[in-house]
Amino acid sequence: MADGNGAPPPPNDGKVAVTINGQTVRTEKGRLLIDVAEQMGVFIPRFCYHPGMKSVAVCRMCLVQVEGQNKLLPACATPAADEMKVNTVEENAVDAQRGMLEFLLINHPLDCPICDRAGECPLQDQTFQHGPGSSRYIEPKRTYEKALEISDLVVLDRERCVLCWRCVRFSDEIAGDRFIQLVDRGAGTQILTFNEEPFDSYFSGNTIQICPVGALTSKPYRFVSRPWDLETAPSVCTYCSVGCPITNESRSGKMVRVQALPNEQVNDFWMCDKGRFAYHHVSAEDRLETPLLRTEEDAFQSGPWGRAFATIAEKLEGKSRIGVIAGAHLTTEDAYAIGRLARKTLKTNNVDSRIQDAGAPYELALPVTGAAGSNARLDDLDEAKTIVWVGPDPKEAMPVLYLRLRKAVIDHGARLVVMSPRAMSLDSIAQDRNLTEVGGEAAAIGALETEGPVVVCWAPSSPGRDETAIARAAIDLARSTGGKLLVCPPHAGSQGMLDMGVHPGLEAGYAMVSEPGLDTRGILAAAAAGELDALFLFGADILGDFPDRALAQRALEASPFTVVVELFATETASHADVILPSAAYAEREGTFTNLERRLQKLEKLLPTPGSAKEPWDICAGIAKALGEDWGWRDFGDVWTDLKKNVSTHANVDVAALAQDMPASSLQYESPFGETAADTHHAPVAGPGGQYPKGFRQGAPFQTGQNWPLSWELRAFEAEQRPGFIPPTNGTGAAEGGLPASEPSTSPTREAGTYALLTGRQLYDEGTLVSKSAALRRLQRKPFIELNDEDAKALGIDDGQDVVVEGNGAAFTTRAVIGDIVKGAVFVPYDQVGLPANQLISDSDPIVTLRPA
Amino acid sequence: MAATETRIVTQRLREFPQDSWTLKRYLDSDGYRAARQVVTEVTPDETIALAKDSGLRGRGGAGFPTGLKWSFVPKDVFPKYVVINHDEGEPGTFKDRELAEMDPHQLIEGITIAAWANQASKAFIYCRGEFALGSRRMDAAIAEAYERGFLGKGIFGSKFDLDIILHRGAGAYICGEESALLDSLEGYRGQPRLRPPFPAVKGLYGQPTVINNTETVSTLPHIVNNGVDWFKKIGTEKSPGTKMMSVSGHVNAPANYEVPLGTSLADILELAGGMRDGRPVKAIIPGGASAPLLTDTNIPMDFEALKEAGTMLGSGAIVFMDDTTCMVRNALVTAEFFAHESCGKCTPCREGTWWKVRILERLEHGEGRQEDMDLLLDICNGMDGRSFCPLGDASAWAVRSNVKLFREEFQAHVDAGRCPFDDEHEQLVGARAGGVGLGEAGIGDQPAAGIWPDADGGA
Repeated sequence: MADGNGAPPPPNDGKVAVTINGQTVRTEKGRLLIDVAEQMGVFIPRFCYHPGMKSVAVCRMCLVQVEGQNKLLPACATPAADEMKVNTVEENAVDAQRGMLEFLLINHPLDCPICDRAGECPLQDQTFQHGPGSSRYIEPKRTYEKALEISDLVVLDRERCVLCWRCVRFSDEIAGDRFIQLVDRGAGTQILTFNEEPFDSYFSGNTIQICPVGALTSKPYRFVSRPWDLETAPSVCTYCSVGCPITNESRSGKMVRVQALPNEQVNDFWMCDKGRFAYHHVSAEDRLETPLLRTEEDAFQSGPWGRAFATIAEKLEGKSRIGVIAGAHLTTEDAYAIGRLARKTLKTNNVDSRIQDAGAPYELALPVTGAAGSNARLDDLDEAKTIVWVGPDPKEAMPVLYLRLRKAVIDHGARLVVMSPRAMSLDSIAQDRNLTEVGGEAAAIGALETEGPVVVCWAPSSPGRDETAIARAAIDLARSTGGKLLVCPPHAGSQGMLDMGVHPGLEAGYAMVSEPGLDTRGILAAAAAGELDALFLFGADILGDFPDRALAQRALEASPFTVVVELFATETASHADVILPSAAYAEREGTFTNLERRLQKLEKLLPTPGSAKEPWDICAGIAKALGEDWGWRDFGDVWTDLKKNVSTHANVDVAALAQDMPASSLQYESPFGETAADTHHAPVAGPGGQYPKGFRQGAPFQTGQNWPLSWELRAFEAEQRPGFIPPTNGTGAAEGGLPASEPSTSPTREAGTYALLTGRQLYDEGTLVSKSAALRRLQRKPFIELNDEDAKALGIDDGQDVVVEGNGAAFTTRAVIGDIVKGAVFVPYDQVGLPANQLISDSDPIVTLRPA
Repeated sequence: MAATETRIVTQRLREFPQDSWTLKRYLDSDGYRAARQVVTEVTPDETIALAKDSGLRGRGGAGFPTGLKWSFVPKDVFPKYVVINHDEGEPGTFKDRELAEMDPHQLIEGITIAAWANQASKAFIYCRGEFALGSRRMDAAIAEAYERGFLGKGIFGSKFDLDIILHRGAGAYICGEESALLDSLEGYRGQPRLRPPFPAVKGLYGQPTVINNTETVSTLPHIVNNGVDWFKKIGTEKSPGTKMMSVSGHVNAPANYEVPLGTSLADILELAGGMRDGRPVKAIIPGGASAPLLTDTNIPMDFEALKEAGTMLGSGAIVFMDDTTCMVRNALVTAEFFAHESCGKCTPCREGTWWKVRILERLEHGEGRQEDMDLLLDICNGMDGRSFCPLGDASAWAVRSNVKLFREEFQAHVDAGRCPFDDEHEQLVGARAGGVGLGEAGIGDQPAAGIWPDADGGA
């Protein structure tokens, strides 16, 4: 950063010289003064300004003196201009700051002692720093009904509100759902949901996090903890492949809160409500704590790890027909360990991680991207002229990707083309909406004209359905347009699994396997046919997730020996011979690889319950019992081994992956006379600094630390954050070397049958999310969706009960008439009492319908 | 010499009050000649130059030169819009209302000239919602103008199209602030927008937009017909032309009076028949509720002189108050107005207007404290220049001038623990139906029945 001292500024660098409080910097013309000051280390107080949203300049807290102006100007809405001289500490500006705080506090209830926000409250902190010590207001305060539950997740207290509009702007600009609004006017202005409808947004929790007071609070977290009692560790959300950086927060060893960490390259400042509120599984009462072994009497008995490993070794003695299936909620290290266990120790290529997305042909991307994954980064969406979306509704499956797509379209003017047989959230912002036949996406993609740069997003859409032709068309489009490809596998660990060779045809680092093994379906079919000696399921709930529940059932029943590594005693686990308890994501140091192939780090916050172990440790234990000592004691050892054996990851600097906690390098004078940094071991190290875990515990009253606002400071590093995995030179990889993908056929369906489409809804009966009571309440009532004409032909009205039948299973449920292509029926995955995967048997699943 | 009016925009409505709003009457008095002439014979740039040369300044309150405003509009961006700010809500102001009710064709002709100058083929009249009669008469006039080809496709046989859309507001003073007006017109909550961009560049629906006041555009046909030199001979050098003054308060004949800019307050008071019961003038609001008070009538009413006197001409709403007026109550009524009309967008206005009402209520009801006067001034200082839009600033000016000029009266309230005017007020209320202060300031020459005709949804 250039400073204005001495040498004349470089000519024509497009920058302007701005002097703030006597210190001169050169900065981009037009950059907001509030940001310029912040980068210089001058913190201008603010409430309404948020770097992730447009300035509105309503709170008037950031008024500063600009030379030559007769009025104070809002720093959040004043662009830097050359030779601008700004003063943030002169008398008038300071008087304005004090005055605004006095105004804001006249109607504020000052109920800090019972407010969740106290201790991390920007109003509280800034009042300490800039406010008057007392109020001259003596009249009664404005009152409203307290603690209004505006949804199952959000509680509104309008008395505490300072009307900064952040929530309203978030709802309008970012989420685009406009659930929360300003009503009435003047001093009676309030935040409310319109017409008292619930705040029914998938992103409502963000408004809690950005609320600069305790007006919007979290219902699940309400009165649960004080901020200074929390222990916090940075982590990565485990619910989808976007991989939003988050903090896990606990009190007395129990997970109590999750918040979004800002990363403008991934999630901006946001996350979805599932990621934010579905943490209850970590501290759930029914977590598995010790290994369980099936007894002679067919019951489970807990036993020590030694016995469990010995049992496994004993049962595998002389056996070679083994299948290994891993769920995609596991870390990159787990993936490496599972791959190594399967290939090197168990000597099988029957290993796969694609369960819900079984058969999804990610490997087709290899010749284009050099990986079974993306070559696009999320930031490429902002540069794109054309974005093609081929996949399920991202708002349901990957909500923050929906926000990124929305931003690309609305803020950056990309043209969005959507291909899908069913209406979705993106339709409202898409310029080109193709409601295709089921499987007709491929043809529609082929007919597409695009203007570059192009980003083609492809996500497997309907579990169980063969979408190879669609994937091929999407990948071809990226290739033929010279565009980039964003492959969107479903889960947080999916990409890590692919990268680490948990795949029948690809080894870690994308070396081809000479004799590909069985994929998930193949493994289950073999097991069901009695052709396997043992089945390993790592966090793989095949009964719940695999899109042919009957096959999974037969496989489990026929498998002579099944090992399950799990958090919970799932129905799948009940078929196991050995159940091994796993550590949850908040209990581990590790990495997830997100859909743009970015490694992000999880830090350990909590101890594992009982003797639960990390899956990579379990793999090493099994290997050791089988006579192979990998010598792994910790995360570092895994990476030493991994880097040696996986060429793509050879240069990863794991230490550099440590996520910065939102730590401001700006130091405030503490009202107690010392800087906050001196008084409390606060993380003031700044970007790159190590975050001392649990620093908040036991610290004294911390007002003045400026903690919550530091979450909103911009990350000023221009370069990409570390963690991207380079592609292999697999661009030449022949598709022929890969497991053959069945060509997609479009058999003419019998009359009276419908193509079955399935897909995720954000809140479903998944093992982890269903542990959150609040989110369970938000589940939609089970339903199926069909086209208006089909409904008429069948004599079915909207909301009427119908019987849906497929693969020998039949369910009675509610029919909803929706915008879906004729001849198709949508059945959401994982509904209570309606497991869609029971309706699926082959790669072109069909169902029949009749009125109940 | 007895004071007289110089009637230009009010000439027709004063002379023919029985039918001044009809097209027939308008055409009989040379109506639409100016619009026809500019659209068919004068280039848009020449029309802008005409407005510039005339020195015409906005009659809505700010007094910004009209021609200069037009010249900010980019030439090559289409569509452009002309929006007429007919949301006359400043307490004491009732001039635009009379113009629209009594001479709507004059307004339409003015809009046509403004639209031609700016090459805007769509104009909106943002009409204050309460103006029932005015909006019905404007609707009728617009329909007549369409019928005659003065509006619509190819007006006056030219290739220029012009549509006028009358939009009725829903009762918010803030919508008279031009950017809030635009938000409201677009269907949003009426709140001022962050500037820049200015409406001339990005206004209605993000397009270049000229926003002019009703009286301003009503003046345009006369400038076109009579020439710039004629216009500049009226008024002062920097404030040429006439201005409608809405005179109300404790005068004998409250009404609109059109006088050359620079006419003294004393002359205007004389036009309005002098003070009621011959009582002395105590205070004058010279330019709407926002304007700081004057106590002296010996001042010319033009933009410069009033600015120099620390107040403003504003919309030309003059409220004369006699010695029976309680200035604490005056401040309270004014403060209540601003608190009621604050949009709530920014902190100082939302909270400051509310706080001032609480304090003034206490003072007026005998619960004032010694420190309240300084506190009021401090609150005003905390709002002035720090609010998002001029509403907050103006509310500070109004209350501040009451405290500054009549501090001893505030002190008397504190000392007595009651309002010293209470007894007198009782008597007055008993004697007349009217009250004191701003609240009941009436309009003289409009029969009440004519103001609120049966609501038949004329719009």
